[in-house]
Amino acid sequence: MSFEAKRCGVQFTPPSIVLIYEHKETKHVRKRIIPVRNFSKYSDYSMAAERLKNHPRHRDYLEGVSQSQLEKLHIILRNHMQGFSLEHSMASFRLDPDEDLNKLDDDELARKKGQMDELFEKNRKRKDDPDFVYDLEMDFTKTAQENCSWDDESDDGF
Amino acid sequence: MACDVGSIPELDQKKYDSDEQVKIICLGDSAVGKSKLMERFLMDEYRPQQLSTYALTLYKHTATVGNKTVAIDFWDTAGQERFQSMHPSYYHKAHACIMVFDVQRKITYKNLASWYKELREYRPEIPCCVVANKIDADLKVTQRSFSFGKKQGLPFYFVSAADGTNVVKMFREMIKRALDYKQNPSDFMDEVMQELENFDLEKKENNSDEDGLKAQSPELV
Repeated sequence: MSFEAKRCGVQFTPPSIVLIYEHKETKHVRKRIIPVRNFSKYSDYSMAAERLKNHPRHRDYLEGVSQSQLEKLHIILRNHMQGFSLEHSMASFRLDPDEDLNKLDDDELARKKGQMDELFEKNRKRKDDPDFVYDLEMDFTKTAQENCSWDDESDDGF
Repeated sequence: MACDVGSIPELDQKKYDSDEQVKIICLGDSAVGKSKLMERFLMDEYRPQQLSTYALTLYKHTATVGNKTVAIDFWDTAGQERFQSMHPSYYHKAHACIMVFDVQRKITYKNLASWYKELREYRPEIPCCVVANKIDADLKVTQRSFSFGKKQGLPFYFVSAADGTNVVKMFREMIKRALDYKQNPSDFMDEVMQELENFDLEKKENNSDEDGLKAQSPELV
């Protein structure tokens, strides 16, 4: 790979993905503005992200940018087209531990799950990992002592 | 309709009466990792069967317990949990229940109380456990003790669907308990249902007319 992606963001007008990257050989840092075409407030962001990731003219530059980040950037663009603020978009990605996710619609829930998946994938042990153990057991009964603050309020059934 | 709780056309829940068929249900809030746990346990066997009309996903598993081979259906919610309540057919004939919460989100722990309450309305006696998932996010949580379920004597597991900690152990123990329960059911309602079914069959054999008294799925008969 001769390009190293440094940062990736969006520009609203015209709708574009902005990439700051370093040319590995020359060590030059450059900015690449990739216009997002055929993308409206009704478009499927994950398809659009995939299309961009595989675009013959851009794919070499975007190799170091994950599909999920590109999806996120497309969501921000689409939200903007739908009239939502950047603040709103950012909040929808943030994980609020007190938020009741049961109340979200499919799309919003998928975004939160996408956020959670990042940690899941990071900590995931796969079958072909050398230290993979199918039946991994750990005994926590000796360590569990401290009472949990989540039990403080005396709700019914707790 | 009122007594038609087992009615899912694609699924004849009567099969769960046979000795080799086990039904285990999962309960818990959205995004606590119920499907991820199934996936980690089943690995290559993981072939979810979506019944989207019922917001339901089924996973089939074959286990050998002692010298017996049993077919286990794991029932997982596919969004139905968002209504904060499950359709009665979800609980119908279940032999065990796995309740899951996310150690990173208190609300999912707090909501266990309402899940448990609903479970017990339909299945007062089936074995149940409490599963604290995502301990990989912060191992320190395992030093805390979560008291929900202690009073009821529910087993508690710290697990991680990501790195696999205690997932297989938990599922194996629950399968075992589901089988034990099946061999020795203590739910009064089970017996009543069984009686009603027998009664129903007798009636049919005597080919008298058969209004009412059908415990489930009349259209499947």
